[in-house]
Amino acid sequence: MSIKQIFYSWKASCVAAVLAVAFGLGGAAAADLTIAIPAGSEGDGLKAAASDYEQLKHIKIDIVQAPYANLLEKAQNAGAQKSGAYDIVLMDDPWLPLFAENNYLEPLGSYFKTAGTDGPDNDFLGKSLALCRNPYNTGPYVCLPYVGNAQMFFYDPDQFGKHGVTGAPKSWDDVIRVAGEISKEGNGQNFGYVMRAAEGNPVVADFMPIFWSYGGQLFDDKRQPNLLTPEAHKAMEIFLQLKQVSPPGVESFNADEVGTYMAQGRAASSINWPNWVATFEDPSQSKVVGKIAYTKIPDGTRAGTSEIGHWLMGIMRAAKHKKAAFDFMVWATSPEEIKKSAMRGNPPVRFSVFTDPELTSQPQFRHFPTLMNAINFSTPRPRHPKWPEIENALGAELSKAVAGQQSADQALMNAQEAIKKIVAR
Amino acid sequence: MVAWVVIAFALVYTVFPVFWLFSNSLKSRLDMFAVPPLLIPHPTLYNYIQAFVERPFLIYMLNSLIVAVFTTILSLAIGTMAGYALARYDYGRAKRHVAFWILSTRMMPPIVSIVPLYIFFSVLHLLDSKMTLVIAYTGFNLPFVTWMMRSYFADIPRDLEESAQIDGDTALGAFLRIILPLARPGLAATAIFCLILSWNEFLFALILTETENANTLPIGIAGRITQYKTEWGEISASGFAACVPIVLFAFAVQRHLVRGLSFGAVKG
Amino acid sequence: MTALSLSPAAPFWEAWVERNLKYIFLAPAVLILLGLTAFPTLYMYAVAFQKYDPADPTNSQWVGLDNFVRLLSDDKFHNSLWRTLEFTVSAVSVEFLLGLSFALLVDRYVRRLNFVKTILMLPMMLPPISVAIVWKLMYQPDFGIINSFLRALGLPALQWASGFGTAMLSIVLVDIWEWTPFIFLMCLAGLASMPVEPFEAAEIDGANAWQKFRDLTWPFLRPVIAITLLLRIMDAFRLFDQVFILTLGGPAAATETLSFYIYKVAFRFFDLGYAAAISIFMLVVTMTFSSWLLRRMKLAE
Repeated sequence: MSIKQIFYSWKASCVAAVLAVAFGLGGAAAADLTIAIPAGSEGDGLKAAASDYEQLKHIKIDIVQAPYANLLEKAQNAGAQKSGAYDIVLMDDPWLPLFAENNYLEPLGSYFKTAGTDGPDNDFLGKSLALCRNPYNTGPYVCLPYVGNAQMFFYDPDQFGKHGVTGAPKSWDDVIRVAGEISKEGNGQNFGYVMRAAEGNPVVADFMPIFWSYGGQLFDDKRQPNLLTPEAHKAMEIFLQLKQVSPPGVESFNADEVGTYMAQGRAASSINWPNWVATFEDPSQSKVVGKIAYTKIPDGTRAGTSEIGHWLMGIMRAAKHKKAAFDFMVWATSPEEIKKSAMRGNPPVRFSVFTDPELTSQPQFRHFPTLMNAINFSTPRPRHPKWPEIENALGAELSKAVAGQQSADQALMNAQEAIKKIVAR
Repeated sequence: MVAWVVIAFALVYTVFPVFWLFSNSLKSRLDMFAVPPLLIPHPTLYNYIQAFVERPFLIYMLNSLIVAVFTTILSLAIGTMAGYALARYDYGRAKRHVAFWILSTRMMPPIVSIVPLYIFFSVLHLLDSKMTLVIAYTGFNLPFVTWMMRSYFADIPRDLEESAQIDGDTALGAFLRIILPLARPGLAATAIFCLILSWNEFLFALILTETENANTLPIGIAGRITQYKTEWGEISASGFAACVPIVLFAFAVQRHLVRGLSFGAVKG
Repeated sequence: MTALSLSPAAPFWEAWVERNLKYIFLAPAVLILLGLTAFPTLYMYAVAFQKYDPADPTNSQWVGLDNFVRLLSDDKFHNSLWRTLEFTVSAVSVEFLLGLSFALLVDRYVRRLNFVKTILMLPMMLPPISVAIVWKLMYQPDFGIINSFLRALGLPALQWASGFGTAMLSIVLVDIWEWTPFIFLMCLAGLASMPVEPFEAAEIDGANAWQKFRDLTWPFLRPVIAITLLLRIMDAFRLFDQVFILTLGGPAAATETLSFYIYKVAFRFFDLGYAAAISIFMLVVTMTFSSWLLRRMKLAE
C-alpha cells in the first residue's frame, strides 16, 4: 500500500464517518401526526388503523412503538418536558391519574363542543367512558377508550364438572375446593388453578379482584391506605389458599406463564386477560382448543368484580397537532373502526360491536358477551398519580407473602406503612 | 485424562444453551413447552418467518448493523489517535491522570449516566436517532479503544518513527505512514470488539430509541415480551439470529481475545 | 506527497498541526468523554438536591440533603445494596476459583487448541438478551429443561428464577456460565507467558506442587488476576440486563440490584431527585473502589 493510499483511505473513512453521522443518520421527515403506542397487539391494532387513516386523508402519521414500560417513561418525559414529541398517546388506564393530574393531557370538552356534541356517544360502555374522565367518572374527559380489556375467569368446564361444579364456578370457595382436588389428583402434573404472582403489576392484578370481591378498598375517603381491615385480611387468606393449589413457582409468574399452563392443559382455571382467547383457540399454540370457558370473576362475600384494563387515547397538552389528533381519535373510535379493531384481535369498547352477530357467531369472539359483562361489573385500579409506585410497594409485600417470607397480616401491615409513606411524600 | 474429561464437559456445558436457543427457535409454541422437553424439534421456520417477514426484525437488525459500524469507525478514529498520543507523547505528570481518567469513565455504571443523557437528548430532540446511539456508544467504546491501541502502539519500537522523521517526514506522516500499517492487526481486533460491544448493548438503546427508525435488535427482541404474553418463538428466532454474527466475529478475533478483554493490559 | 512533508513553504496550519499534534490527537477523545460523563455527573449533582416535580420540572424545589437522608431509611435501597454485594461477591469468587483452577488444570493441554478457547469465549460475547432468553426458558420450573434433567436423575426439582431462595442463585449461575471463561482465558494467558527456568530450578530444589504454586505461579499471575478481577467486579456491580429479562428484580425483591432499583425509581416512579441521589452513591462507591485498585496496580504508569 502506498503512502498516498493509506493516507487517503484513512482520511476518507474519517470524513465519510463524520459526514454520515452528521447527516445520514439523523432526522426524519415531519409528520402530520405522531402517535405513541405500546408494543403488542393494542399498539399493532392502532398502527394498522393509522395506516388506513393515512390512505384516507393523505397525511403522514408517525408511529412510536415502545415496550410497555418504556412507553410510560417516554410519554411521561414528553409530558414533563412539554416537548410536544407526541400528539396522541395510547395509555394503559392506570397511568391516567399520573398523566391527568400532572396536566400532561388536553381536556377534550372544547373539542367536542366545536364538533357540536356534549361528549362521546352512549354506545360506548359506561365503565369505559368513566375511566376517561378525571377525577374518575365525574371530571372532564381527557381521553377516549380504544381497547376494552377486563379480566375474565378462565376454566375447564369438564374438569370442574367432574368435581361437582356444573356451569361457571360461583364463588372462590368453589374454586379453592375444586382446584384443591384437581391439584391433589394431578400429582404435581396437573393443577386446579394457576396464579399470577410475579412482583409488581402481575401479583397486584391477580390480587385486586379477590380483594374487591371480599369488600376490600385500597384507599379510604381521604386517599389514605386502608389495608388493616377484616375484609383485606380475609382476601389475603383466600389469596394464599389459591397459592396452595397453584403450581410451584407462581412467585415469578406473569400472564405468559399463566396462559402457558392453561394452553398446555396443565391447569384447570385462572384469571387472565381476554387476549389469550385467541391463543387457546389456535391449535399450533394450544392443546385445549374449544375446551376453555370464560366467565366473570367468582364471588367472595360480595359479587365478583374484575380489574378493568383499558387502553385509552389522549392528546398531549404540548401536542403540535391537537385538532388533527382529535379528529383521528374520533374516527378511530367510531363504531366501524372499533369493529375493525375487534377483528384485529383487540376487544372493543362499544355495545354495538360487543353484540354484533357477525362477530359473536365466530368462535374466536364467543367470549364477547362474557367480556362485556365483565367490563360492566369491573372495578378500576385505585386512581392515584403515584399508582406505579404504590402498585410496586403493594406488589412487593404480596409477593413476599406468596413466597412464604412473611405472614398475611405482616404483608398487609408492611404494605399499609409503605403506601402511607409514598402518599405522604 | 481428567483434564480431557473436564475440557469436554466444559465445552458441552458452554455450547448447550446456544444449541437450546437454536432448537427452540425451530419449535412451535406447543412444542416449546412440552414436558419432557423435545431435544430435537419437529422443525418449523414459522418463528423466523414471523419475526423477519411479518415483523420488522430485519429493520432492527439493519439498525444494529449501521449503528455498530459507524460507532466502530468513529471510536476507532478518535481512540487510535488518543491511544497513540498516550503511548508516545510526553505530557509530564498529567499523562498518568489523563490515561487513568479515560479508563475510569468506563467504570461509570451506565445506569448512572443514562438518566441525564436521556433528558439531554430529549431536550435537543435527538432521541430515537441512530446518530444519538452512535455518539453514546462511541463514548462507551473510547476508553476501550484508547487503552487497547495504546498497548499495541507501545509494542512498536520508537526507532521506526524517529528514523522516518530523520528522513524528513513529519510526525503526522510517520504516524500515518509507518505506525498505523504496523498496528493493523491490533486495529482489526479492536474494531471487532467495538462491533460486538455495540451490537450487544441493551440499556442505552432501550432508553434512547423509540421507533423502527433507530430500534436495535435487542430492543426489538425485548419488545416481544409484552404485558399479556411473551412471543417465545419470535424472540428465540431473533435471539439466535443475533448470535450468528457474534460467532463469526469470535473466530476472527480469537488471537487478540485476551488483550481485548483486559483493555490491553494483558498480552495474550 | 507534499502534504505530509514539512517544507519551509508549508502552509501555516500544517506547521501548527505539527507543533500541536500531541494535543490534537488527544483532544477529540477527551472532549467526547467529558461531554458524555461530566455533563451527566454535574446534572446528577444538581438534581439530587431537588424534589423533582413531574408536572413541571423547572418548578422543582431545592430540598438540600433530603434525598440523601432518605437513603438512610429506605429499606428497598438497603436491600438492593446487599443484593448487589451478594451477587458480586458470590459470582466473582466462584468464577475466579473455577477459572483459575481450570486454567491450572488444563494449561498444558489447551495451549494450542485454539478452537477450544474460541468456543469457551462465546458465552461472554453473545448478546446478553439472547443469553437471558434461553436461560429463562431453561429455568422454567415446570417446562424447563433443567428441572426435567434433575427429575430424570431422581433429584428434586428447584424453582430457579421463580423461587425466593433460588432466584439470586439462578442469576449467579448465568453469570458464571458467561464469565468463568473470561477468568480462565486471562489466567491461561498469564500462565503462557511465564518463564520456565524458575520452575526447573524449583524442581531441582525438590519443591512440591503447592510450594511452586505459592512461590512462583501466584506472584507471577498476580497482576493479571488483579486487572481481571477489577473488570469483573465493576461489571458485576452494575448488573442490569439479566435481571431485566430473568426476574425483574423479584420475587420479593430477591434480585433487585442497585442498577435495577435506580431504573425503577427513575423510570417507573419518576422520582428523579431520589434516583440521582442513589446514582451518586453508586458512582462514589465504584469510582473510589476502581481508582484505589487501579492506583495500587500502578496500571496507569
